[in-house]
Amino acid sequence: MSDEDRFVLCMLAPAVAILGLLVAYPVGLLIFDSFFKVETITPHIREWVGLQNYIDALTSKRVAESALRTLQYSVFALFFEFTFGFCAALLFSAMVGQSRWHRTIFALPLMVPPIVAGLLWRFLLVGNIGILNYGLVQLGLISDPNEIAWLSSEDIVIYSVSFADIWLTTSFVALVSYAGLTNIPKDLLEAARIDGANALKRFWHVTLPLMRPVIAVVVIVRGVDAAKTFDLIWIQTQGGPRHASEVFSMNIYQRMVRFGDLGEASASGTLFLLVMMVLAGIAYWKIWRPAHA
Amino acid sequence: MHRVSRPSVSGILINAAALVLVLSYALPYIYLLMTSIKPAADVQQIPPSFFPAVISFENFREVLQSSTLPKAFINSLTVAMLTTALSLMVAVPAAYVATQYRRRITTFFLLFALVTRMVPSVSLGVPLFQLLKSIGLLDTIPGLVLAHTSAAVPLALLLMSAFFEGVPKELEEAARMDGCTRFQAFRKIILPIITGGIAVTALFTFITSWNEFLYALLLTSESTKTAPIVIAEYNSVYGLAWGAMTAAAVLYSLPVIIVTLALQKQIVGGLTFGAVKG
Repeated sequence: MSDEDRFVLCMLAPAVAILGLLVAYPVGLLIFDSFFKVETITPHIREWVGLQNYIDALTSKRVAESALRTLQYSVFALFFEFTFGFCAALLFSAMVGQSRWHRTIFALPLMVPPIVAGLLWRFLLVGNIGILNYGLVQLGLISDPNEIAWLSSEDIVIYSVSFADIWLTTSFVALVSYAGLTNIPKDLLEAARIDGANALKRFWHVTLPLMRPVIAVVVIVRGVDAAKTFDLIWIQTQGGPRHASEVFSMNIYQRMVRFGDLGEASASGTLFLLVMMVLAGIAYWKIWRPAHA
Repeated sequence: MHRVSRPSVSGILINAAALVLVLSYALPYIYLLMTSIKPAADVQQIPPSFFPAVISFENFREVLQSSTLPKAFINSLTVAMLTTALSLMVAVPAAYVATQYRRRITTFFLLFALVTRMVPSVSLGVPLFQLLKSIGLLDTIPGLVLAHTSAAVPLALLLMSAFFEGVPKELEEAARMDGCTRFQAFRKIILPIITGGIAVTALFTFITSWNEFLYALLLTSESTKTAPIVIAEYNSVYGLAWGAMTAAAVLYSLPVIIVTLALQKQIVGGLTFGAVKG
């Protein structure tokens, strides 16, 4: 081994040890547990059941429903975060150098802990004292402040709980998009203007194609985060009413803690991990690799 | 003259739209601040009012005199500081060789860190519970620090790699010409010029731990509860103590907001950098 190799290994070793102990080993344990019938409080008593936990998870109605809800939540949150964030970035970049204060204030929710954002939005939406509905009455959009039961109606709760997510992370989309927009060469847009392209055409044919990599990063990073959400929804509804806002991560937590079924929770956790790995694979091939090639 | 006045009309429209957008995003947090300084009885009045009729620090007094919250803040601070120290100690040297000594193993290592960021915390939380239980660290400060480190190290690695990429390789070579070993070059030449990047990374790892909820919920009970867990408990244990809860939420979130706003320029740079690179 050369002197250089030894140096590289020495510098790398502590991080490898930490990630090995705290990530690789637990993931191995997760997969191992998923093949056993084993309880959370007595992990030393275990019985090999093969793929039974996976079969149970994949055929459970409650698991399927929570997976679908995760998708509904992620798509809904991502759509609005992206729309609002991208529009904000376009506005800020149209203000040519006068948007510093706007961006500073707009970035505020980014620093708010998720648990506080969840509580705050619960307080805004909750029945009787939630100020949002009173605001909607003032604007003439609804007639009675109890007309929309944001957090207690089973039909809409999964969308209502995503408001906090949208509020919390729109600024992330806006800041990343703004950085992308400022990197677009001005003379390119100027050339398109001279060629007679109107603002809409310039946006569609110049700005949007050049923003493609930035948009891809935002969609993947935020999409994965939204799919993993736990705390934000937990603090607002604990998954209720009647599981109507129980997403996949919460379903796993419930089965491990409330029902004490470590084996089944591990099988679901492994499935969740696999889906995320596929998304990570897409992220790697689409974004990370070209940047380093 | 015509060309000067025309853009100012659209300029006013853009400014107005931006102002509405920014205000509507700031409003919820301002309402939180306003609610926290209302007397406890006024917090739940129907219909609610945006501004307090009387300013009172009753809610703050209540949470600060409670037996649980001050202790939880100390726990949160301890865990976040230890997590930051441990994460930086292992991530800074690793990120350095991963960017400056490119080879198969370092590329694989960075890729592994990137993939780790995608692991749902609930998937890792289930076996971490078991691991900590078997080594007797369940419901202890060091146990929670280890759990938070598993999330903080990959983040620190990706951020530090982005910062190290701006450091020219010639710097180390020059130092070695002058008789430094590789390790001395790293410690005496490279580290001092990268302190800005280390500070930003430290802040991010600190906030990651400070904000973390799920591991704390799974891995702690009475004595080692962190602040978010105690704040969340105002929800169920005390019924709906909104007044106390808003005060606790302000105490928990405002310091982080003030620090990050003060360092905004560096942080936004680090954030977008880390996101695009990572």
